[in-house]
Amino acid sequence: MSRFFRRRKFCRFTAENVEQIDYKDLATLKAYITETGKIVPSRITGTRSYYQRQLSLAVKRARFLALLPYTDQH
Amino acid sequence: MRHYEVVFLVHPDQSEQVPAMTERYRSMIEAEGGHIHRLEDWGRRQLAYPISKMHKAHYVLMNIECGQATLDELIGAFRFNDAVLRHMVMRCDRAITEPSPLIKPKDEKEEREERAERFDSDDRDADEDDRATDEARAEAE
Repeated sequence: MSRFFRRRKFCRFTAENVEQIDYKDLATLKAYITETGKIVPSRITGTRSYYQRQLSLAVKRARFLALLPYTDQH
Repeated sequence: MRHYEVVFLVHPDQSEQVPAMTERYRSMIEAEGGHIHRLEDWGRRQLAYPISKMHKAHYVLMNIECGQATLDELIGAFRFNDAVLRHMVMRCDRAITEPSPLIKPKDEKEEREERAERFDSDDRDADEDDRATDEARAEAE
């Protein structure tokens, strides 16, 4: 039994009914990467797999264009 | 004819050439009956990591409709142009014309507020990590 009340995870993209996750929307993408630049797993964020796949593609595109870092060691 | 989204990064010292380059690409595309649906100049942006020892680059976004031959020609032009540091082409289902999130000219205040919001969300993620480990510990017990 954990003593802390855990807020229920929810998928933000399902809630907002997002059509396509955009690799140019850095404010959104930055919420789903860690400080070291890794993609946060959906088991932590609660993102639905349909959106998690889109999210990972979007992050990878943004990384290629140097909009997001691959790692913090650049 | 298909829809494509093209982004390319130009050497910061060659920034003045960007209007001439886009004009050249426009004539190249429109000569073959294609069309540019969206053309955005994001200006010089800080890179998240250095590309060929450059820390800044000039970004240009184009949403185009063209045939395969024109696209090959365009990609060839990118590859043989030393000013283009990097380019990416994506297939799209439709013509996208609304301005992208990166173009919007924001005043300082708005930007700061947005940054504050982002920090809040980072904190929340960290909390969630902590709680995840708590849960794991509880299960172990």
